[in-house]
Amino acid sequence: MKKLILLIMCIFLLSGCNNQVYTKNLFYMDTFINVKIYSSDKKKALDALSYIDQMYNDYDMLADRYKSHDGVINIKYINEMDINQEIKIDNRLYEMIEYSKSFHAKTNGLFNIALGNVIDVWSEYRNGNKTGVPTTEELLKSGSTSIDDLSLLGNDTIMKKGDISLDLGAIAKGYVTELAGEYLEGIGLNKYLITAGTSSVKVGEHYRNDKYKIGLTDPLDTSNLYKTVKGNNISVTTSGSYDRYYEYDGVKYHHIINPNTFFPSNNSLAVTVITDDAALGEVLSTTLFLMSVDEGKKYISDMEGVEAIWYEMDGGITLTDGMSNYE
Amino acid sequence: MNRYDFILISVILFVCLLFLGITYINGEKDANVAYVYYDNKLVKTIDLRIDETKEYIVKGYNGDVVIETKKNQIRVKEEKSPLNLCSKQGFISSSLETIVCLPNKVVIKIESSNDELDAVVR
Amino acid sequence: MELRKLTHLSMLLATSVVLNIIESVIPVLGNIIPGAKLGLANIVILFIIYIYGFKDAIFVSIMRVLLVGILRTGLFNITFFFSLGGAIFSVIIMAITHRFTKLSVVGVSIIGAISHSIGQIIVAISFLNAPNLIYYLPYLLILSIPTGIITGMISNKVIEYYKKISN
Repeated sequence: MKKLILLIMCIFLLSGCNNQVYTKNLFYMDTFINVKIYSSDKKKALDALSYIDQMYNDYDMLADRYKSHDGVINIKYINEMDINQEIKIDNRLYEMIEYSKSFHAKTNGLFNIALGNVIDVWSEYRNGNKTGVPTTEELLKSGSTSIDDLSLLGNDTIMKKGDISLDLGAIAKGYVTELAGEYLEGIGLNKYLITAGTSSVKVGEHYRNDKYKIGLTDPLDTSNLYKTVKGNNISVTTSGSYDRYYEYDGVKYHHIINPNTFFPSNNSLAVTVITDDAALGEVLSTTLFLMSVDEGKKYISDMEGVEAIWYEMDGGITLTDGMSNYE
Repeated sequence: MNRYDFILISVILFVCLLFLGITYINGEKDANVAYVYYDNKLVKTIDLRIDETKEYIVKGYNGDVVIETKKNQIRVKEEKSPLNLCSKQGFISSSLETIVCLPNKVVIKIESSNDELDAVVR
Repeated sequence: MELRKLTHLSMLLATSVVLNIIESVIPVLGNIIPGAKLGLANIVILFIIYIYGFKDAIFVSIMRVLLVGILRTGLFNITFFFSLGGAIFSVIIMAITHRFTKLSVVGVSIIGAISHSIGQIIVAISFLNAPNLIYYLPYLLILSIPTGIITGMISNKVIEYYKKISN
């Protein structure tokens, strides 16, 4: 198991009130996850941290497309199994796939969890196993990328109709973070902050009647912050092209692939989405990243409680009108 | 003195007290971090959350400047200057206060954790 | 410049330097709020504004800062620019107030004390890059009222006396 966990950290006294911070660092889904709970109830907070640890652990195994885990039917298993074969999977994985798949139609095909085959081709080049840039032909013949080749038959049963390869990389982290936040709120621990990797944060109520302040990294100068978002009960998620990429012939090829072209999209350097739902934030930041700024603005204009910040290729910054609520 | 003088005095008093009132309301924050500057360059960052008395020595224009911290408080304990204004100032504890040792070119600013970021997203 | 006036202004300059030094040796107010001063030298500057006018006042004021710098605090360091900023700013404002308002000598003196503080704070903020210093201003300004009244009253007596003897 790739569990590499550090212990519960010590306890800081914050301000005059009795709230103490309980925190835990986790390593799942190839990234660090830090959970902070502000509470006066030590036992409850520590129990919740263990529960969330387990939660990320379970979903990490289920969404894993590179490693098998004993007795677990996960994405790797599904990707490798024969087509036209019905299989019953874990209810949690089924729901995550169902949720992810539902966005395919809502985003006109831009959010697609069936891009695994194409992503694998790009990975070969990014890792340096192959040099240069894949040809369109190579990408096309890598296998099916049609989400319709995956049938959800209900009762946690699925069936593949083509040789698709699922990849939940664009959603799993945000999805579990959202569930973790909902779990904490459900048991009355409303004051929390979950940092899921470098690109996603979910916060609850503030620990002292203030607002959480979340800095956004400047894509053109990553030691610098270009903006601060302030708010409570929000998630802040960024999709950016400047962290995971490789360079060939002076052109940068990053990891966010447009399902229509099979090539990385170059509309913005980074898109940050602010919404109360971390899973939705993850979906929308990827989707908006694949759209032009104008298309993206139009796309989210009728969504309630969704705001976005575009850091454009030329360094220009575009905000939705509602961003003023988080200044 | 004429009545214009009295009007002037009233106006000054009113504006100042108003300003003080506003800063008093906004100023009740815990001082968590102190930044010490020498000649406009940041030379030391001190965590004021630690609940013990500590001493630090930084270089000043006229010699060493001794800084003392307690929980959420900081002061200049000793320094060499003609009037010793900044050591007379005593402890400061609000992010709205600043210690300035002009002859020693040392400035101490403090910040409450409210000004810090909770997280960074990239 | 007529010799009588030159001599007179020189004596006034010397007086202002001496007052400045006397004051810095007994920093009574400085114990309450760092940087606060009675501003005795302002008596001389006010007197010059009322008797000779703005140009002579600003000349003596700058000379005073230079001399005090040479004699005590050093030239062209932060303290020097501090004093210079306060001195120039207060003379300009006092002259304007004297010319265009109906305030008495005491009122003009208070204005002088205030603008001296404001001038110093502006210089301090820009030199030390410490905008927080603005929060000291209200304390300094409130303190300017009693110190302004004291120096204003003394100035008033001196001006009246001078006018009497020169007639």
